[in-house]
Amino acid sequence: MATEAKTARAEWGSRFGFLMAMIGAMVGVGNIWRFPFVTGENGGGAFILAFLILLFLVMIPGLMAEVALGKYAGKGVIGSIRDATGPGAAAGLGVIVLIVNIALMTYYSPVVGWTLYYMVHSYLFTFTAAGFEAGGFLDALFANPALMIGLHTAVMAIIATILYLGISNGVERLVVYAVPALVLGLAVIAIRAVTLPGAAEGLVFTFTVEWEYLTFAQTWQEALAQALFSTGLGWGIAITVGSYLREYDDAPLGGGVFTAVGEASIGVLAAFAIFPLVFAFGVDPASGAGLTFEALPQVFIEMPGGALWAIVFFTGFFLAALTSAVVITEVGVTTVSEETRLSREQSVLGVCGVIWVLGLPSAYSVEILEFGDDTFALWGLPLATIAILVAVGWFMGPERLRVLSLNQNAGIHVGRWWNPLVKYVVPLTMVFIMAVFAWEFRGEDIMIAGMVMLVGVPLISFAVMRYVDSRAEPQAQAEVTGGDR
Amino acid sequence: MVETIPIDTWIGMGVAIVAFWGVAGWAMVRTLRQEDRKVSLLEDQRRMDTYSPRGLSELREWIEANPDDPYREDAIGRYNECVEVLRETDRHFYDWSEGEIERLKTI
Repeated sequence: MATEAKTARAEWGSRFGFLMAMIGAMVGVGNIWRFPFVTGENGGGAFILAFLILLFLVMIPGLMAEVALGKYAGKGVIGSIRDATGPGAAAGLGVIVLIVNIALMTYYSPVVGWTLYYMVHSYLFTFTAAGFEAGGFLDALFANPALMIGLHTAVMAIIATILYLGISNGVERLVVYAVPALVLGLAVIAIRAVTLPGAAEGLVFTFTVEWEYLTFAQTWQEALAQALFSTGLGWGIAITVGSYLREYDDAPLGGGVFTAVGEASIGVLAAFAIFPLVFAFGVDPASGAGLTFEALPQVFIEMPGGALWAIVFFTGFFLAALTSAVVITEVGVTTVSEETRLSREQSVLGVCGVIWVLGLPSAYSVEILEFGDDTFALWGLPLATIAILVAVGWFMGPERLRVLSLNQNAGIHVGRWWNPLVKYVVPLTMVFIMAVFAWEFRGEDIMIAGMVMLVGVPLISFAVMRYVDSRAEPQAQAEVTGGDR
Repeated sequence: MVETIPIDTWIGMGVAIVAFWGVAGWAMVRTLRQEDRKVSLLEDQRRMDTYSPRGLSELREWIEANPDDPYREDAIGRYNECVEVLRETDRHFYDWSEGEIERLKTI
């Protein structure tokens, strides 16, 4: 937007850049393999309906709250949440989000490293070479710690370079090309996949409507988990990306509706691309995450022109993973550069360095990576989501945020129906999902680690902010008490 | 082995495409068109209205209902700015009528 209203803070260069940053951050590896599979396993069209209802009831209001808070405060997660809670221990809600965010990146970076490795090998035509065996290829990668750590290092170096260039010259320049390239790549594969003999079986598996599934608790539980993990709610991404919006930018239409439905649309496109392939070549659709790294390379061997399709797929897959990783890391960079005396460049090096060091165990051992993933994905993300929603719903007050920020320059008007969703429905939904996970994993190490995290992370966060804010100069803004009246 | 695609599957695919790509496409086109209108307004008159009639009315209601709120001054600033821009500019982003603008009062 050609406005002369400039601030010292960076801004998105275009509306399209903001939209692609949100989509690029939210679309990751889970959209590509998990959405099609859980859809097919839980009643096809019936699951899609349940997923849509939860998107509009929980995820879109939650994302709107995050973007509106970031836009209003014009700060990263700790600064935005401190503006809502006032300085002191309660601002530790922002530290919870930051800790969870950085913890997630420590094991996501090695996964991005795998996608980099596969992309490079697709260009070397490894997957269509004589004697290639997909399972052995993946096992050899996992059995080579030096290579795994090298990939993790390369990924963090790429991320640091992009972030070093800044919001507009680095992050935006990447996402405006990478996200459309990902969509184009998946679309091309989808067109090829649905025209293969036997592809119909994959479409029937994924999309056949079985209405009785709407009466099953598991359908709703799976839809809720998918919605939570795929929309990026609670990662602090929407606060951070929203904080770089310009003066006259909208929050609810682009940051809420488009982001949630748009990222799910990539999952739908992946369903058209992946599962017809999987069924056409007789691969087990229940392979889960292994589907991408073990099953699909086997498919490309058998496909006519498989080398080219492998390049298209693994390039898109790498871009999906990289854009997420870049924007997730930006959350920490923005916050550290605001909360410390470090410059943005120093913050990039510091945050990327910390993630690199803490990510070494996950890069070294897949078992450690999976344990961290299970612990933080199951309990960390809902905890961080609750932290943000408590700040908005119970400290800032949803009505206050709605009239001041959400509906200012908005592309759609958000009515008062939004307030109870943000204050009660979304936080209670997160508590419910954590209770379900705790019940499912009762007595197991993952559950115990999760409980330790649920108690330890908030305690540390509140203590840190109480100490930090007590030493800081008095805030210019009066402390905010209570929420809506 | 499935030879043909049953009607239920076609319905599921149709719902998925319309509900996701349809809604996402609508949202993207709408927000990018709005962006173009905002750019045009700002190039012409440097300022633009920041609230819809309903949004501004709710902001005023909130200001009046919360006289001691620490954010009240900020809210008043936002309200008055929008009213002044509406009075000083000819073209508006939101659907304001002349009668509605004439009835507006700053706080």
